[in-house]
Amino acid sequence: MFKSVIGHSNDPDSLMAITEVINECTRSLAGIKPQAGILFTAVDFDHSLILQKIQDTFPGIALIGGTTNGEISSILEFQQDSLTLMLFASDTVEIQPGLGLNASKDPEQAAQQAISQAMAHSTAQPKLCLTFPESLTSSGVVILESLKRNLGENIPIIGGMTADDYAFEKTYQFFQDQVLSDAIPVLLFSGDLLISHGVASGWTPISPKSRITKAKDNVVYEIENQRALDFYQQYLGPETFAANYAIHALAIFDSQDRYYMRAPNSYDPDIGSVTFFADIPEQAIVQITDASREDILKASETSLQEAITHYPGTNPASLLLVSCAARRRILGTLTSQEYQLATTYLPQKLPCCGFYAYGEIAPLQQHSQSKFHNKTFVTLLLGDT
Amino acid sequence: MGDRQQIEEFEKTIRILRKKLARSEKDRKQIESDVAAKEALLKTVIHKLKTSKTTLEQRTQDLQDALDTMQLMQVQLVQSAKMSVLGQTTAGIAHEINNPIGFIYSNLDHLDEYIQDLFKLIHLYHHYLPSPPTQFYVDSEDIDIELIEEDIPQILQSMNRGTQRIRDIVLALRNFSRLHEAGYKAVDIHKSIDNILMLLQQKLSGIEVVKNYGELPLLHCSAGDLNQALINILNNAINAIAIKNGQTEGQLSDPSVITITTQYQSNQQVVVNFKDNGTGISPEIIDKVFDPFFTTQEIGQGIGLGLTIARQIIVDQHGGHIDIQSELGRGTEFLIRLSSQC
Ligand SMILES: Nc1ncnc2c1ncn2[C@@H]1O[C@H](COP(=O)(O)OP(=O)(O)OP(=O)(O)O)[C@@H](O)[C@H]1O
Ligand SMILES: [Mg+2]
Repeated sequence: MFKSVIGHSNDPDSLMAITEVINECTRSLAGIKPQAGILFTAVDFDHSLILQKIQDTFPGIALIGGTTNGEISSILEFQQDSLTLMLFASDTVEIQPGLGLNASKDPEQAAQQAISQAMAHSTAQPKLCLTFPESLTSSGVVILESLKRNLGENIPIIGGMTADDYAFEKTYQFFQDQVLSDAIPVLLFSGDLLISHGVASGWTPISPKSRITKAKDNVVYEIENQRALDFYQQYLGPETFAANYAIHALAIFDSQDRYYMRAPNSYDPDIGSVTFFADIPEQAIVQITDASREDILKASETSLQEAITHYPGTNPASLLLVSCAARRRILGTLTSQEYQLATTYLPQKLPCCGFYAYGEIAPLQQHSQSKFHNKTFVTLLLGDT
Repeated sequence: MGDRQQIEEFEKTIRILRKKLARSEKDRKQIESDVAAKEALLKTVIHKLKTSKTTLEQRTQDLQDALDTMQLMQVQLVQSAKMSVLGQTTAGIAHEINNPIGFIYSNLDHLDEYIQDLFKLIHLYHHYLPSPPTQFYVDSEDIDIELIEEDIPQILQSMNRGTQRIRDIVLALRNFSRLHEAGYKAVDIHKSIDNILMLLQQKLSGIEVVKNYGELPLLHCSAGDLNQALINILNNAINAIAIKNGQTEGQLSDPSVITITTQYQSNQQVVVNFKDNGTGISPEIIDKVFDPFFTTQEIGQGIGLGLTIARQIIVDQHGGHIDIQSELGRGTEFLIRLSSQC
């Protein structure tokens, strides 16, 4: 048995909201004891209070989560300023939590901490790792690579980077009853678990091609020998740049002319550098990207279909969606359609939980290594045999 | 639902609405800035694309120019190789043939004299020895002395004509090869054409050549090159007629004619017009006939450089004009105009 239940409230009052959510979950659990859970909330809630309430109700539950740029569930569908909680209960699937701290200082050490803590209590080979790490202090690619090194590259890692409603000031990660920053919380699943996943973007490069002439790790200093900031401002306008640059990721081309996306998350007006969510190699050929709502929704559909066609069982028990904050921003009032697309392909009552993130993590195909993405829609189906 | 519960519901709704109001204000501002940024982005991209399009066009033009130059160089290379081989061989052949023909030609008169002397001698024998011994009749029975006497002048005459013709051809060959070496000089176009016709005599058999020569001044031009251009054009006319005759074999058709018309116009232009009644050129390909390596001939027959070279000589080298008029199935006319000052 692998069961998941879901609660979702848009009450701005923290206590009211978590009470409502816990009540919903308890009702659906019908007496079964949950082992683990994931929690996604808007930034301006009293997170400690919320976590405490959950621990009070389900003592010792393995809970991870974080703050977002929008929340999704099968109950209230797409919401902002809300909180949603998904709980897992199973006698065949084992779920163990782990936590790494100070990701920006020593990502390798943090990843190792998190994985070894979770592994210490696992009795079987892990099948899936969920993670919702810090987005603003460190590079997503570095965190993911560290996790992969410690867990093994063949175990799928899926998740997204925590967000803060486009303020780019501070995001929070949750672990049990702790509200943290600069942290890497993980949940390790082992046992009779079945999963499938999909990822797609819909972003397309539109500017002429340019070359990164100076970069180090996830900081780009110069593009075409021009300050990276000036390069961006030239395209987006000097006034509107600040509020919009995060949407317009760079498409980074590889030697086969395929591209992946890297979104910026901050800049330094004095030295003119732009910092990205993940590393960008020097000399890479890049283009500024844009997306239409139509392209974005088409990609969401592709991601869903990819997961559905590859699901190894018959009835998945749970659906996790991680979408990019920039998608939400461009989709505007159409954002709710991302979740609604899921209901056109999957049973309406399939418990679903998700959030809008500052970077997504998923393998590009089934049985391939996990990758860090920007601007994508990640679908994860979970169930047992 | 109890009153208390209802009040709680209302309170929650109010909280949510308040939050939504704040959110929508925030969203509105964000959307406005999103739209402005998007506008800026599109404007810049369009501007950049326009600039890169212009540079691209410039680069395409440069490439095209480079390609043209390269093709021209290739054409010139082929041409000069062709010409130098042709020039060398013709000069060599002309020299080789000239001497033996000289012996034959210069001895023909002597031969004629000697033979006439011999006949005179025979007549004298007849006169003074009317009854030779019997054996003489037996041995001379097969020899028809009257017929021989009648035939020999004709034989000699045709030998004379033959050697004369060989001498003419050799002369034309020498002119041709020497002209090519000569560079710019005053040229009598009519002489050049006649020379060429002489060289092409074999190929022209069965084709009537009509000459409408006008009065022309001497043209200052690169004689050898001009010859080459005219040969290429005449060759094409001959080919076109041959192909047409091949197609219409057995059918009743017009006799093959090449008409060459020359004219000196009041604007000091020399016009040379070659008209054939060969296959003609279909309108789809007429624009291509001057292109390097364009040919409709079978593989191994033509390389498609004849007209390219002709145009290069007439237009680029001599500042003249070359035009075609053609009707499929009826024939083709090449109009060449050269300034007498060129
Ligand atoms: N007088 C003509 N009548 C019909 N077609 C002609 C005539 N002159 C040229 N053409 C067409 O133009 C083509 C190109 O002529 P051009 O002299 O350049 O090349 P070519 O004769 O095919 O080969 P070559 O390089 O041996 O001369 C010919 O293949 C033929 O199709
Ligand atoms: Mg030809």
